[in-house]
Amino acid sequence: MSDAKNGQPSDAAKSSLSEGLSPPQQAPGIMERADLLTGIVLLVLGVAVAWMSWEMPRLEVRRIHPATVPGLVPGLLGLTLAFCGAILALRSVRASADAAGWRVFGGIFVSPEAGRVGATLALALIYALVLVGTLPFWAATALFVFAFIVTFEYAFSASRSPLWRTVLTATVQAVIVGVTVTLVFQFGFLVRLP
Amino acid sequence: MFDGLTLLGDGLMHFLTPASLFNVAWATLVGIIIGVLPGLTATMGVALLVTLTYPMPPDQAILCLMCIYVGAIYGGSRTAILLAIPGTPASAATTLDGYPLALAGKGGLAMGLATTSSALGTMVGILCLVLLAPLLAEAALNFGSYEFFWLALFGVVISGRLTAFDDPIKGYIAGILGLLVAMVGMEGLHAYRRFTFGVPALGGGIDLIPAMVGAFGLAEILVVMKRRVAARIVDASDRVIPRLAEVWKYRRTTVRSGVIGTIVGIIPGVGEDIGAWGSYAAARRKSAERDQFGKGSLEGLIAAETGNSAAIPGSMIPTLTLALPGSAAAAVLIAAMFIHGIRPGPMLMVENAPFLYQVVAMLVLATLAITVYGLLLTRPLLRIMTVPRERLMPVVYVLCVIGSFAITQRLFDVYVMVAFGVVGFVLREMRYPMAPLVMGIILGTLLDVNLRRGLALSNGDVSPFFTRPVSAVICTLIVLSIIFSIPVVKRRVTSLFTNARRTTAGRD
Repeated sequence: MSDAKNGQPSDAAKSSLSEGLSPPQQAPGIMERADLLTGIVLLVLGVAVAWMSWEMPRLEVRRIHPATVPGLVPGLLGLTLAFCGAILALRSVRASADAAGWRVFGGIFVSPEAGRVGATLALALIYALVLVGTLPFWAATALFVFAFIVTFEYAFSASRSPLWRTVLTATVQAVIVGVTVTLVFQFGFLVRLP
Repeated sequence: MFDGLTLLGDGLMHFLTPASLFNVAWATLVGIIIGVLPGLTATMGVALLVTLTYPMPPDQAILCLMCIYVGAIYGGSRTAILLAIPGTPASAATTLDGYPLALAGKGGLAMGLATTSSALGTMVGILCLVLLAPLLAEAALNFGSYEFFWLALFGVVISGRLTAFDDPIKGYIAGILGLLVAMVGMEGLHAYRRFTFGVPALGGGIDLIPAMVGAFGLAEILVVMKRRVAARIVDASDRVIPRLAEVWKYRRTTVRSGVIGTIVGIIPGVGEDIGAWGSYAAARRKSAERDQFGKGSLEGLIAAETGNSAAIPGSMIPTLTLALPGSAAAAVLIAAMFIHGIRPGPMLMVENAPFLYQVVAMLVLATLAITVYGLLLTRPLLRIMTVPRERLMPVVYVLCVIGSFAITQRLFDVYVMVAFGVVGFVLREMRYPMAPLVMGIILGTLLDVNLRRGLALSNGDVSPFFTRPVSAVICTLIVLSIIFSIPVVKRRVTSLFTNARRTTAGRD
């Protein structure tokens, strides 16, 4: 008990922050900054949900019991989320004060890993949201598989094989996957594909 | 008791047909392959395969999904031992000793012992399932709205508390987000449409399967593709089939890890990965060769593999008797059961008692299958591990799109999958666990309806939620679990105990 009274509170707070918040593979301070931003987003989201729940009709016309209004549980959840978001943000404010740390934080969005994620996500989104539904399913699938393999085996790979070989094998795999998947699901499992 | 044995015999006989055995054979193999491939998890495998089993009869469909579940949890150990990458999160503890064993040229022995331990662990869990599930189901018949409200909340809170990587608040936040997702759509008491924003497709709510395919499929693909380097496989050419003496030597560890794994499995929303870590920690504390742990201890490997496999039957106990998922994959299984017209919960033993014993039979068959495959198929499984991710992941994503589309045949579910994939990836990168999110989505309706129904029954009075005995116990557990996750409280209490120990030691 006496330790807690005599010890400096800032040190205690610092040690509790560094205890295990940041995963070992990342630079210190990155997770705190991410937590600060998510904390604020969650706070806003929680308040918005609580507000929408409060505005929800209470169905007085139907004479329902006032304790069973539809907005009760979402309202409580919204408030709890806002509370947790506030804790998350407040806890990270102190650790996120210096501007240099924010530059490091911004750096993770332009790293090679971010590029790989961005490319995967772009391909996945174009396939699911644009190609499927506009092209026949087998063609959309073949195009996606081809683009994915070429992107990662050629553009993002350190040990490149010749472009013609990548393109050739990718084309073969793309056509096989597109046709097989379509046939198997349409006729094997009787799924009507988009 | 005798009734139970008869039903168990019936359950086993039920599946001893060529068609069922064929299903066991292919589904377990698919499960093992899913487990072996890094980036494909048991939850994702079960969620994707729900689509394939859609046209099957209910018992065969659940049989296939169960075999995939057991196979995937086992298959992850292969990759953990030979690549030092857990094939599924459940095998993370296996890497600690499995990989050093492989480096020391005992890869075959490690794979063999992992196989026998997984089989024995599942058997311990199955025994507990047979003994405990009927008792729990009978007790649960007395549960009312008040108890079910607390159980639903308990599931989300305890899952958030125990699966969070290092920060319980992130587990709780994931749970609340899941509960909020469950609030979307028409609610059960007054048929009011909440948070639909004028989108007709949202009226029916957000389905669990597309959400899971996104959170465990697309999100996992993004995680796998983010890594820059691929790992190298360790060569393992020693004998795979272990000697009986090697298995018998660690019998205590096996039983202890099996029991711990089962208990962890029973805790809602806390599954195989925590089962493995729990058994591993307990084995190290009790072991005579403690210093060998992490450097290639056979005991550590056995503990981890027994623990994660025992958690599977353990997780089926609350899943079947309370409709409270024991793990993330069990949540998907509940959704699959509803699709096939099987309603898990307290009424299962009344309406459909043979089903419980059929699940036991499914687990027994799956265990036999992993033992056979595990000891015989060493080389082919090795080859699967070498499939480059650039070639595999696009195919997996195509299956994710089909899997989310196929059940209700609408593109809206594909959009749900994509949205959950992106959000799931961002949450994962910031170290939020996925299991509480799943628990929230599946338990949201139960929590919402039972809270308001309970309040209506007591005419707005909240006291029955705290005074009924079972309610009071669960409520206390929830409060304690939350209080102890506050760092200050935890530190104070720990220091209180160490101080007390120091004072008594000083007095001596």
